[in-house]
Amino acid sequence: MSVLKFHDVRRAYVSGKNVLDGVSFDVNKGEVVGLLGRNGAGKTTLVRLAMGMIAPQGGEVSLFGMDPRSQPLAVKRRIGYVSEDQILPGFLAIGQVLQLHRELFPDWDDLMADELLRRYGLEHGRRIKTLSKGQARQVALLCAVCHKPEVLILDEPAGGLDPAARRDFLETSIRLLNESGSTILFSSHHMGDVERMAGRAVMLHDGKVLVDDDLDAMQERFSLLIVPHVDAGPEEDRRARLSAHPDCLAVRDRLDGWHIVIRRTPDGALAAAADLHFDDARATVLGLEELFIELAEGQS
Amino acid sequence: MGIIIVVQPQSGVPVYRQIIEQIRFQIAGGVVRPGDELPSTRALSSHLGVNPMTVSKAYASLEQDGVLVRRPGKPLLVADRDQETVIESRREQVRVALAPAVTRIRQLGLDDETVLNIFRELIKEAKDEEAIS
Repeated sequence: MSVLKFHDVRRAYVSGKNVLDGVSFDVNKGEVVGLLGRNGAGKTTLVRLAMGMIAPQGGEVSLFGMDPRSQPLAVKRRIGYVSEDQILPGFLAIGQVLQLHRELFPDWDDLMADELLRRYGLEHGRRIKTLSKGQARQVALLCAVCHKPEVLILDEPAGGLDPAARRDFLETSIRLLNESGSTILFSSHHMGDVERMAGRAVMLHDGKVLVDDDLDAMQERFSLLIVPHVDAGPEEDRRARLSAHPDCLAVRDRLDGWHIVIRRTPDGALAAAADLHFDDARATVLGLEELFIELAEGQS
Repeated sequence: MGIIIVVQPQSGVPVYRQIIEQIRFQIAGGVVRPGDELPSTRALSSHLGVNPMTVSKAYASLEQDGVLVRRPGKPLLVADRDQETVIESRREQVRVALAPAVTRIRQLGLDDETVLNIFRELIKEAKDEEAIS
């Protein structure tokens, strides 16, 4: 069952340049989807559309079948949101911020809020402006999860946090998954976090969806084939032969040879190399980070 | 928990596969024995800091292969297997662990005897180290 839907969504900057140029995907109940892409790929714009902060110029955004612009309250009650540049009012004490949320959300869980506060080592009386960046983000996360939202939307939630704070963040999100079976859409530059959290990745590139796939399946389907350089002979000819292979996604010249990203398992990649008479090739699995970099670069 | 699982993102191996391999490995090695209970999906997912779906995917696959037994409302158990299967499974684990090294070694073009000698040395060193500690 789809809880969050983007259908042919379009949005341009004031300058007229398209940020999102026909983006479509659904997020189903209970799914954890990692939103990937370089800076400027349109991740934040997409999140802001889902939150109803901006309107699409074409296409449709819906949460629980509702338009976040026309039914903001009904939608926001059921979602939690944290972003990198979220600002809580500095003059308020943590307790006052929590009180505001308690009044807004009927399902607010005081026990969970107190437990998380203790875990983060924070007290009700502390003013927001005295908190470090990491602590402020922890308060924001607490506010986003203690009403047990059906959908949690995180925009670079760990941006600028140290590893310990990132780990806390991850654990709190996982707890929400375990206790409430929530759906999560999150954008992150930390591929390790994406790998731990997400079951599926959607990658934006040039305003379009470049990849939308199961993470495990992706890792099992792609590998890196390395064909050593030879001292003599026409290297360009070797490159051309490699590029021409139907499963080849990218060919790059590296110190130890040609690096080929190939849509095959390592064994399959070796078989492909043997077919091309590259008997000295070796094949390895490919980390997600490398895979996404290669896929993005392979486009331009 | 008796079982030791360490997840390494960025290793190129999907997280659920890492969990499967490490559980199989510890069963084959006798660290985890038939009848031992596995941590719940929830406990393991928070312990490892990974999505609970990933853990249940790994558990489901091990259950499918007869390695784990599911009982309604109770923790998963390591299945009973006869000794022969355990030995066969140990052999298989060793094969899986060594296969990539064999590929590398053959690419280096060393002769078999040299390689076997290196392997014996490594085993000796490991044993010596264990004796010290």
